[in-house]
Amino acid sequence: MRRVRRALGWVATRPAVQTLAPFALLVGAWQLMVALEVYPRAFFPGPGDVVRALGSLTYKGILPAYLQDSVTRLAVGAAAGALVGVPLGVLIGVHPISYRFFWPLIIFFQAIGDIAWLPILLIWFGFTLTTMTFVIVYTVVFPIIFNTALGVRTVPVDVVRAAQCLGASRARVLWEVLLPGALPNIITGLRTGLGYGWRALIAAEIIVGTSGIGFMMFDARRSGSVVEMILGMILLGLLWYAVDAGLLRPAERATVERWGLVRPTG
Amino acid sequence: MDDGLVIRGLSKVYHTPYTGEHVAAIEDVSLEIPPGEFVAILGPSGCGKTTLLNIVAGFLPPTRGEILLNGRRIQGPGPDRGVVFQSFALFPWKTVLDNVAFGLKMRGVPRAERERIAREYIALVGLEGFEHRYPHELSGGMQQRVGVARVLANHPDLMLMDEPFASVDAQTRMTLQEELARIWEARRPTVLFVTHDVEEAVFLANRVVVLTPRPARVRATVDVPLARPRLWQRLVEDPDYKSLVARVLALVRDPGG
Amino acid sequence: MIAHPVPARRASPGWRWLGAALWFAAPFAVLVVAWHLAVRLAGVPLRVFPAPADVAAALVQQVRTGSLADHIGQSLRRVLVGTTLAVATSVPLGVALSSSRILAALLLPVLRFFSVLAGIAWIPLATLWFGYGFGAITFIIFNAVFFIVLYNTLVGVSSIPQVLRDAARCLGARPWQVLVEVLLPGALPNIVTGIRTGMGFAWRGLIAAEIIATNAGLGYMIFLARDFYRTEVIVLGMILIGALWVLIDRSLLAPLERRTIERWGLTRVVQ
Repeated sequence: MRRVRRALGWVATRPAVQTLAPFALLVGAWQLMVALEVYPRAFFPGPGDVVRALGSLTYKGILPAYLQDSVTRLAVGAAAGALVGVPLGVLIGVHPISYRFFWPLIIFFQAIGDIAWLPILLIWFGFTLTTMTFVIVYTVVFPIIFNTALGVRTVPVDVVRAAQCLGASRARVLWEVLLPGALPNIITGLRTGLGYGWRALIAAEIIVGTSGIGFMMFDARRSGSVVEMILGMILLGLLWYAVDAGLLRPAERATVERWGLVRPTG
Repeated sequence: MDDGLVIRGLSKVYHTPYTGEHVAAIEDVSLEIPPGEFVAILGPSGCGKTTLLNIVAGFLPPTRGEILLNGRRIQGPGPDRGVVFQSFALFPWKTVLDNVAFGLKMRGVPRAERERIAREYIALVGLEGFEHRYPHELSGGMQQRVGVARVLANHPDLMLMDEPFASVDAQTRMTLQEELARIWEARRPTVLFVTHDVEEAVFLANRVVVLTPRPARVRATVDVPLARPRLWQRLVEDPDYKSLVARVLALVRDPGG
Repeated sequence: MIAHPVPARRASPGWRWLGAALWFAAPFAVLVVAWHLAVRLAGVPLRVFPAPADVAAALVQQVRTGSLADHIGQSLRRVLVGTTLAVATSVPLGVALSSSRILAALLLPVLRFFSVLAGIAWIPLATLWFGYGFGAITFIIFNAVFFIVLYNTLVGVSSIPQVLRDAARCLGARPWQVLVEVLLPGALPNIVTGIRTGMGFAWRGLIAAEIIATNAGLGYMIFLARDFYRTEVIVLGMILIGALWVLIDRSLLAPLERRTIERWGLTRVVQ
């Protein structure tokens, strides 16, 4: 009995177990609800059904194609958003007057939101990739602008002055001091922006799309396939986790954690 | 005097546009520092001595007066006036080596050459072996040595030091003061050193300029003809040192105009 | 030479407010002028993009027919109901989670997972479960606000120093009194911040949901206009969506947040 207890204790401390255990419980509870037919099966499928759908869609090649489409759109949108947002953020953050001038405009446009642009975008571009990319870029860009501007503004004035008194020109100060100094904030902006961009992607695919995970979920709605809806939602969660752990965290570790600007997290 | 630093009739008034307030920080200060001299600027906290340093460094514009370095008016910051900051101000994303080589990089010195020079100065401040560390891995005292090396490696005409040892503990401070004295005795840069610590000023400088409380004016200038090399163990017992410190202290604390 | 400060002539608060308002309006004035010039000079037809004058005319017309008030009212109502429901559930849950380690260990990862699934992703399922209209949209809003307020409540409550709780207990407070007198007030700044952020998300999610799932509201209005190529109504709607949120946020939520935080001197507000 003792040994069993010790073994269980050891297992409980494994990080993988700690992460997965709650989900295992959730899935268990889910399966229980399904087995007890708490809701009609048509409205509330079980884990088994979802896994089966996963298998069949993958086999038919639909799922990988949709996944690829979604991820590509997000990547393009995010890259474009970063290319637009970081320079804008720098422009705004670097001088108090430009900050004061552009701030109300940015707040206002952010308040309009990406979706509200859809009607006019559809008139201009129709149901195309351009429309979707615009929506994603629009969502991604604001957190990036805000965080970049904040990062630039909060580089310690002494560090900027140190560069100046060592002969750095304005351009040099920007490249050698402001950008690296703002990097922790820029990464935060990217992380937040990617999160929003992901959601915008799904919304765009629902409204506009012809393929992709979001489209799959909405199409499933039309055909009444709850399984596919739930499958889509699970995939979304997993994918986001993958992007964060596989892209953003390593980037953070290689830069801002190495420089001691940010305390290392798990 | 054509060479060195010349300050004539410097005044600095802060003006708040919204409320119309005027605050005079510096009033009619004149000062001359010939090349190779170590001058300490001493005054109570808040008297405007850091403002004075910032103006000479080019970070702030003066309201009145002129400042000439080697015969030319100063305009904005530049590599001819290097600054060592109280907060160290090292670039956290660069290694010690890259920090020290920064000024040389700005001047376009090729990599091999500037790293060679940087290593020389890193050794000079006693940090050999730490070239590839990042600032956050170093103690405060070590970081400030990097700050000093960084400025020295750039060979400025004037070295400005803004209470550089105020952020380290007392014992490290004494070590750093001796280090600085040693380096100065070896290289003889022109130094303008701002501090509120009387003993530090007398220990390091050839000449101490005492400022009045705000608005800052030159109250007195005291020559420090103590022998070099300057070591704490010796000076602590030296009657000349002690009387100089007493004299300067009296000047600093004198409430009279 | 001025040797001491001149007695200050402080600008009166009225002037300062005017100055701030002008600074706020200036970029928009520039924008409108640039907009007008761009449309006129480039000869952009109404079908593609309206001029400022067209949008103004649309505003007048919509107000006259009364449909604008109806759309705005619907949108606001949904946000209000959804937000209230979300706050009413997430705050107690947040307090509960921060008081019980077991509950937290069990529920937190799950909640984190679901928080990533934005309201939008729930729309297909929500319309299936709740039908089109008020129910589904309110659910989307609820979803947007719930997780943020929950997270903020957690942070707020757990950042209350244990000493405060102990002090309350040793002054005779029973658990529910500790809750009401210490935990909730202490976490209030964070909660209010969470509500403010959450409502921002909710507003955006609202528009999307209205486009998809209903027949009244600002989102619906602009999407309907698209079918008739009435770009001036679309742009009017967009401007209203942006302006309404800026109004709600800047004149209601931000002061509320500032008042809560600053009144109790708890944290420095970062705008």
